[in-house]
Amino acid sequence: MRTSPRKTIWVVILFAIILSTISATAGDLSGKWSGTFKVNGGDHTVPQLFVLKQQGELLTGSGGPNAGEQYPIEQGTIAANRIRFELTTGEWKFTYDLRQAGTDTLDGDLKLQSVGEERTAKVSLARVKSD
Amino acid sequence: MRRLILKVHLVLALIAGAFMAVLGVTGSVIAFEPELDRLLHPNVSYVTPGAKVLSLVEIGEAASRKYGGEPIVAFLPPSSPQFPAEVIMSRGIVAVNQYTGQVLGLRTRGPTVLGFVRALHTRLVAGDIGRSILRWSAVAMLFSLASGLYLWWPIKRVRIRRPWFHARFCFDLHNSIGILSLLPLLLLAATGTVIGFEDQVARLLDKFAHPSLIHASQSPASSVSRPGSAPITPDQAVGIACAQLPGTVPYRVQMPQYGGFYVVALAYADHRIAGDSNSLSIDPLSGSIISTHQSTDLSMRESFMATNEAIHTGSIFGVPSRIIAALAGVLLPVQFVSGFIMWLRRAMPSRPDWAGGARI
Repeated sequence: MRTSPRKTIWVVILFAIILSTISATAGDLSGKWSGTFKVNGGDHTVPQLFVLKQQGELLTGSGGPNAGEQYPIEQGTIAANRIRFELTTGEWKFTYDLRQAGTDTLDGDLKLQSVGEERTAKVSLARVKSD
Repeated sequence: MRRLILKVHLVLALIAGAFMAVLGVTGSVIAFEPELDRLLHPNVSYVTPGAKVLSLVEIGEAASRKYGGEPIVAFLPPSSPQFPAEVIMSRGIVAVNQYTGQVLGLRTRGPTVLGFVRALHTRLVAGDIGRSILRWSAVAMLFSLASGLYLWWPIKRVRIRRPWFHARFCFDLHNSIGILSLLPLLLLAATGTVIGFEDQVARLLDKFAHPSLIHASQSPASSVSRPGSAPITPDQAVGIACAQLPGTVPYRVQMPQYGGFYVVALAYADHRIAGDSNSLSIDPLSGSIISTHQSTDLSMRESFMATNEAIHTGSIFGVPSRIIAALAGVLLPVQFVSGFIMWLRRAMPSRPDWAGGARI
């Protein structure tokens, strides 16, 4: 029984999609991630350090500007390639909506909300390699 | 030379005048933002002083009970006996009557009218582009004020001739308001320019003086527990902090699960410049002070920026300077409109009734 070339191509494409989806979602996010963000219309680049713990689709851990100032992660979820969580540092609430750009990088949007204002920023995080 | 200066004055006003007017009006509103905010939200802004003030623990329990045991992020002790205590939670800021424990209400995070005004003042609600426009508008305002003074000098007009709304009216109004508001506007424009170019100014200042080391002890990675000891309460943390910096009043207490330690922010009531730049990190288990940051230890750059901000916001001399700053701000649109009408009259000389004595 012969398989048509067109059918073969479709099967390969399907496998590629499945594999890429699996690789995008299967990467455990647990570990340290660092990066920066600059609020649109803001002055400064703000450092970020996260200690993430992934349990299936649940994301917990902490984040903040450095290791000494960490805030608990709230509402952390991982669905498909989308990582969402919140941090409340005080007057400001940080809502992250990230995507896994590579095995060791997360990119996405950040919404900052206070009583009165709402700001946005682009965020990029990279996994901190352990020594 | 005079013709050139007039041209510069006109061009700057035509390019940036509208933005200067926005800066002025929005700045005037922001100068009284706390008062206006209380006016807009009276139900969560005022309490009747009672005999006994509840502890932070009791205030926090009242707020947490109301919202399903949600943890406390931080406390904002009231700055006046007439204002309620505020409790920061993930869902928003809860106002609590510190005398009765009654929860007055919750303010959720998100845009408000005053927030919009602030966003207009700082970035035209347009992100980086808006911020760039405004910072260069502040520079333009400096040149506009300087050139305006040069043009005013030979005339020295500080009165408005009758009849009202005659051709000369705008000329007199522009000159009179210009000179009367010159000093506060110069200060606002100069300090606004510094704020607009904060990073560049900071780098420049750091070249002249190395940033001083903040008086701070090394922070351990985690809390140090003493055997058998219970974690200290936020009230005890405030007591420790106030004892360390006598004469200060607490205005913010960050809970340890939101940062690792209690962080108590304190203000000297009589220090108008950077008086609120004091904070102590306190270990919740041992009660020991992990680090201190005092307003007296600010670097030259930090002191300069704090002074600059106090001048810009008008807080440097309290309510009187805030009123002056607000008044000067609302005069900017008047200057823009009167100047624009003067320019129109110059640009359209065919209208004989516009050609009166309004020429400089």
